[in-house]
Amino acid sequence: MTLQVAPPAVGTRQDVQAGEGQPGWLVVAQQECRDLWTSGRGLILLFLFSVLLSAVTYLTSTNQALNFLEQRESVNLVLQFAVAVGVLATLVVGADGISGERERGTLETLLVTPVARRSIIVGKLIAALTLWFATFGVSIPYLWVLGREVGILGPALALGFGVGTLLAVGLGSIGLLISAACNSNKTSIAASIFLLLILFAPTQLPSGLPQGWFFEVLLRANPVASGLAYISALLVEGHAWTQDLSYLITPLLTAIIAGSALIFAGPQLVRLTRGVNAG
Amino acid sequence: MANISVEAIHLTKHYGAYNAVDDVSFSGSQGEIIGLLGPNGAGKTTTIRLLTTVLGPTSGEFSIAGHQSTAATEIRRCIGVLPESSGYPSHQTGGEYLRFYARLYGLSRRQARSLSVELLAAVGLEQWGRSRISIYSRGMRQRLGIARALVNDPSVVFLDEPTLGLDPAGQAQVLDIIRTVANARDATVVLSTHLLPEVEQVCSKVVILNQGRVLVSGSVGEVIGRALIEHSAHLRVPLHHVERARQALMQFPGLTINQVEGQPDLLRIAVETPGAASAASPAEAMNAGLTAVTAAGIPVLRFELEGARLSDAFLKMTSEAVA
Ligand SMILES: Nc1ncnc2c1ncn2[C@@H]1O[C@H](COP(=O)(O)OP(=O)(O)OP(=O)(O)O)[C@@H](O)[C@H]1O
Ligand SMILES: [Mg+2]
Repeated sequence: MTLQVAPPAVGTRQDVQAGEGQPGWLVVAQQECRDLWTSGRGLILLFLFSVLLSAVTYLTSTNQALNFLEQRESVNLVLQFAVAVGVLATLVVGADGISGERERGTLETLLVTPVARRSIIVGKLIAALTLWFATFGVSIPYLWVLGREVGILGPALALGFGVGTLLAVGLGSIGLLISAACNSNKTSIAASIFLLLILFAPTQLPSGLPQGWFFEVLLRANPVASGLAYISALLVEGHAWTQDLSYLITPLLTAIIAGSALIFAGPQLVRLTRGVNAG
Repeated sequence: MANISVEAIHLTKHYGAYNAVDDVSFSGSQGEIIGLLGPNGAGKTTTIRLLTTVLGPTSGEFSIAGHQSTAATEIRRCIGVLPESSGYPSHQTGGEYLRFYARLYGLSRRQARSLSVELLAAVGLEQWGRSRISIYSRGMRQRLGIARALVNDPSVVFLDEPTLGLDPAGQAQVLDIIRTVANARDATVVLSTHLLPEVEQVCSKVVILNQGRVLVSGSVGEVIGRALIEHSAHLRVPLHHVERARQALMQFPGLTINQVEGQPDLLRIAVETPGAASAASPAEAMNAGLTAVTAAGIPVLRFELEGARLSDAFLKMTSEAVA
């Protein structure tokens, strides 16, 4: 068999220099999205999520005796659920981002391309965020069914989208940072699931418990819990959107700190192996 | 002298107190295939990772296609790399994989599409572009990896054990591709491998590493020359000619002829007390014997000076270094 690896007609040194194509982060983001959505991982998650939402919506909407407040509460429930699942998924996908490539032996081939480490990491964050956007999108019809009569659909959507995106950026970045710091994918996923348990624990406390200042501090220190508390305050308690803005401080700080750590320290973290010896 | 396209100057990489690469210097010109050899753990992969900007050196410098080691992005633009035991996204198709990498080098979707078709054909995978990588054999994956390393038409190509785990046909195919890459594309190839006979065929230059240091570097001929034992050779003739060959050689008092145990058609010829019996050099005494054999009409199946193979040189030098 003779093979002809003749000089190519396209992809020559000149083409590569000219760079007619799209920027690196966009190419990475597109490919990561394809991987996420065509490999079935994303779709399975969305499917399970919509089955659960259907059950919740069916139970609440068939209950004719629901009063006005209970309807608002079910909108709140579905929205919180969507935010929680979307953010969780973003974190876990982020946690696979670097360590997964290390483990599968595909990181080195990415590192020898001229694409900046920062673009690789930004592309991966964007792809992870699409999971949140998809969960949010799936929850819209359910929110419509539950919320159309009480006239809170618009505010609920805007609120959920804003708070959820803030949380997803923060936690997706944390996931990627964890991933960059772990050599094995198992460690990375385990660490991020542990983080999830911590973040979701306070929101699971029965509301009847005495809620002293300690609980308040715990709640406000936790970006997910305080983000969800803000949603409840508006949707259920009917507060004005400016009244409880302080609840958004932690989600905002998380997004800013984790996001900039990722952008600024990311290039040092995206390496073949983790640690100081890695070169 | 052709353009120097790869040059390592006192390149060093320490892992704590351990020197994985220690003061390594060598150079290669355009179109040359450089064999990077050495036993396991010699530092071949680390050297390649340093030269491909994946790792930063502890000290020393290098240049690739005229770019200094500090210009990492420029270097990455003009190199192609097949890393050691590289992984592949098994759910992607071969075509998708190549298009993605082509686009990472700034090609448009359209350019990436035609390039991927071209490269798949170049490595003999034209039928497989639409199949998922998960069904590719090991050899097909390696060839896909080489195709990927060529998406930017690199001036220097680094291949870290591209023939690892391939059957002889697969190895020959990969070596064929490597030769074409160097010749038709005028690229410099840095090839790390354990296949010494193949290196002898394709490489113009070899660098033998051991424990992070360069033991020897130079053309294949030069390296072999260092290990050559001129006063001993093997001669293989058809079995029914062995006796006649032995008699033809017996005429020369300076030569001792022995049957190699277990191989009745193989004779070992040694020059006794080299240089003493006659004024001729051992090589000349050997040639005289060989001439007598051919003059007797005996077909010579193989005649080889001991140590005339790269593997002999390799073993000799790496074991001397340990001793
Ligand atoms: N990250 C690291 N930390 C510590 N030591 C390392 C690291 N990477 C490599 N080494 C050591 O450096 C030495 C050289 O390794 P390298 O992989 O370069 O060898 P090699 O010549 O490619 O070997 P092989 O033929 O087995 O592929 C080995 O002894 C290895 O244990
Ligand atoms: Mg190696």
